[in-house]
Amino acid sequence: MDVKDTVMLEIFRYHPETDSEPRFQSYEVPYNEDWVVLDAINWIKDHVDGSLTHRWSCRMGVCGSCGMMVNGEPKLTCAAFLKDYYPFGIKVEPLVNFAVERDLVVDMDGFMDKLQEVKPYIIRDDVNDTSEGEYRQSPAQLAQYKQYSMCINCMLCYAACPVAGHEDEFLGPAALALGHRYNKDSRDQGQAERLDVMLAGEAIWGCTFVGECTVVCPKHVDPAGAIQQAKAMAAQEYFKGFVMPKGTGVSKGADG
Amino acid sequence: MSGQYHRSHRWAWFFERPGYLLFMVRELTCFFVGGYLVVLLVTLGKLAGGGETALVEWLASVSGPWWLTAHLVALVAAVWHTVTWFGAVPQAMPIYLGENRLPAPIAAIVMGYGPWLTVTAVILWWVLR
Repeated sequence: MDVKDTVMLEIFRYHPETDSEPRFQSYEVPYNEDWVVLDAINWIKDHVDGSLTHRWSCRMGVCGSCGMMVNGEPKLTCAAFLKDYYPFGIKVEPLVNFAVERDLVVDMDGFMDKLQEVKPYIIRDDVNDTSEGEYRQSPAQLAQYKQYSMCINCMLCYAACPVAGHEDEFLGPAALALGHRYNKDSRDQGQAERLDVMLAGEAIWGCTFVGECTVVCPKHVDPAGAIQQAKAMAAQEYFKGFVMPKGTGVSKGADG
Repeated sequence: MSGQYHRSHRWAWFFERPGYLLFMVRELTCFFVGGYLVVLLVTLGKLAGGGETALVEWLASVSGPWWLTAHLVALVAAVWHTVTWFGAVPQAMPIYLGENRLPAPIAAIVMGYGPWLTVTAVILWWVLR
């Protein structure tokens, strides 16, 4: 193999049954201008070392499975082209701020729990019969939350967030952005339930608006913005609670 | 689950990404803003308590090179603090016109720079008239 046509990948390896500490292993991979880092990792698994463990699925930036640290930056490896790093080496590690299960695979359980806590689905007090048709929504009402609905749960934002790595109570960027997405949905009536969760402890207040979650988001969701808006909404509801009975303070007008 | 590897927290995490460092700089500027506020309050206290003579003496005592340097540093820090927060306002308080969101630079002018410059102009007019 012509050395000019290869690229070196240094990959984080950790097998719990044999390793007490992680190690880095170097692989020489064919350089192809069209390849992304995920292609290189798949090539290693197929041709060099079948024990290399990683997650991936769609290869087109939709499933959110292949997030890893590429040269210290949280990236979807299906969207990180080798040509952007060539001829220099590429260091691949599992997403930081998560426990490592094996090689490049992290434990997602904590994230999934936090996601469930914010109830990321439409909650209705009065459920219409399907014969009544859909809950109608204007383009202006859709615009209020559409950006936050683009999250693919890739967890890059958690790897970029210094608070997520230090404060377990903090629900984190993606979960809070999704909670906010439903709070801003004109069809939803579950804002009070979600705000109860968000207002507890450091759940939302842990965010200090570092803003790097928004910087690394591959779908331009802007979780940092969503969290600040959710904080304002939560504070507003908190003070409303002193003067109004619970459940009457939330109103979603024509613009959401 | 046993067998997982937990990476240790990094005490110097703020050096790991330029964005972290900029965040820390933004947060630390509040000390300078707070410090300058103390100077301003003391100045007002001198004026209220001792009149013009006490104020002139106080102003003379804070006009040395070290104090001027401190004022300059506080000014730079206050401007940085202001600019970074004005930059963040459109994220935290989006303005929608129908289904269109006001672009961030315009929103920053509408909610930040515009009122800031207006208030500054009014104060200058009031002081210099």
